[in-house]
Amino acid sequence: MSLGPKLGALWRLGVAEATAYRASLLVWVLTTALPLVSLVLWHALAADGPIADYDQRAFDSYFVAAFLVRQLTATWIVWDLDRQIRTGELNALLMRPVSPVLHHAMFNLAAMPLRAGLAAPVAALVLIATGGMSLADSASSWLLFVPALILAWLLAFSIQLCIACLAFWLTRASDLYDLWISAYIVLAGYLVPTSLFPSGFGEVARALPFHATLGFPVELLIGRLDTAEALTGIGIQLAWLALFMTLGAWLWRRGLRAYGAFGA
Amino acid sequence: MPELGRNLRYVAAALRVSVLAALEYRVGFWTEAVLGVIWSLAGAAPLVVALEHRPDIAGWTPWEVVLLSGFYLIFAGAFGALIEPPLFETMNHIRRGTLDYVLLRPVDSLLACMVSAFQPWRSLEMLAGAALVVVAALRLELRPGPEQLAMLAGALACGFTALYALGVLALSLSFRAMQLQNLAFLMESSIELARWPISVFRGPLKAVFTFVIPFAVMTSYPAQALLGRLDLGAAVGALVTAAALAGLARVGWARGVKNYTSASS
Repeated sequence: MSLGPKLGALWRLGVAEATAYRASLLVWVLTTALPLVSLVLWHALAADGPIADYDQRAFDSYFVAAFLVRQLTATWIVWDLDRQIRTGELNALLMRPVSPVLHHAMFNLAAMPLRAGLAAPVAALVLIATGGMSLADSASSWLLFVPALILAWLLAFSIQLCIACLAFWLTRASDLYDLWISAYIVLAGYLVPTSLFPSGFGEVARALPFHATLGFPVELLIGRLDTAEALTGIGIQLAWLALFMTLGAWLWRRGLRAYGAFGA
Repeated sequence: MPELGRNLRYVAAALRVSVLAALEYRVGFWTEAVLGVIWSLAGAAPLVVALEHRPDIAGWTPWEVVLLSGFYLIFAGAFGALIEPPLFETMNHIRRGTLDYVLLRPVDSLLACMVSAFQPWRSLEMLAGAALVVVAALRLELRPGPEQLAMLAGALACGFTALYALGVLALSLSFRAMQLQNLAFLMESSIELARWPISVFRGPLKAVFTFVIPFAVMTSYPAQALLGRLDLGAAVGALVTAAALAGLARVGWARGVKNYTSASS
């Protein structure tokens, strides 16, 4: 049996699981709706004039886009894999003919359509309340947005994989991910666009992987980047992705050896 | 009242166990306490950005925002140290059906659950918050009289009651459906909003954050009390909100436990 049908089966399983736990998924969508509250805050703060180059409509566009990109780059392999390594549940996955990493990737991706379906009405309501958003008007931005979004998801997934693999040696790797999330919330452009950071600090933040997974695709989508900036951003994404994928693959192989050593 | 004494002794014992466990893992001082404080401070970045571009945030000057951030740290630390750990612990018990062992103990069931786990290291965040409040108060040259201090104590008491009640409500809902156990995460992420002065919010959101999920009572009101800007009407509103939430939590918990079926029954 080739890989295609196996992945198809995993996809169907993932869709079934997401549908079964739809209430839970909705709470997760709300948990990641912080950008929409940031929208209200910054919308109010910009009431007496634009803040730097963001007026009210720009903030509305930014944060609705941030909410949507956050949903479309969602992945949770770190919690599942961390638990499976700690409790030994991973054994069952290792017996299957598909790598556990691919298994998690398919499950996470399979929840995407339903997640988007749950998030869309929320975003639509906000758009009705705020009176719409401005999107990129150049074709090149839209063409580049698709790979930027895919790279953002891959990057988020590989980062979580790297941290989850540390569970082969540490007792609870997901605690480390909490630290990562705290940094992400501040530096990814989740609560405030990074271009509003004080200069110097802002440039550093924009080169980090946090921004590559959220702020960059968002700015591309609302048309705040020209083609050169967009290509630079994709270059940064590719560089971080190469790093985290290599690291992830290495940790996974080393980890499995350590896991076998005390699991067998 | 022998019952009260027994409950108090139980709380003291639970606290002691958690503290001893935390002292065993001293690396937690760095990973939980120090980093927790650093990231809570870093989370103030949007406030700093706003003050870079504006002289004040909805009427709050920079040092008043520092005062507010101090109260935020106190509440975020309390949530991380005292409320979130027992929520996760109890939800685990509910999921695995082992809550029986907790319910059998000769103390109030809600009390037994809400002291089932602590993260003592996270309480350092509360200390950092208190220090921030003192520094900001000195900088603002505040001389709070007894009336303001009473208001402050009242606002803090209402804020803590409301926070606990929200936690218990999330817990009560998780009896209903295992799927709702991530409500604790929703609480954790939305508490971020308590950083902002309530005056930033307008319309229905302002009402929600004052009366339903009263972040205003937790951070804005104590700061306003110290600044002498908390009027009596708002204070009474806070009292009513906290009492209503506490009552709702008690009822929610009673119904939750009633619906609980252990693993084998």
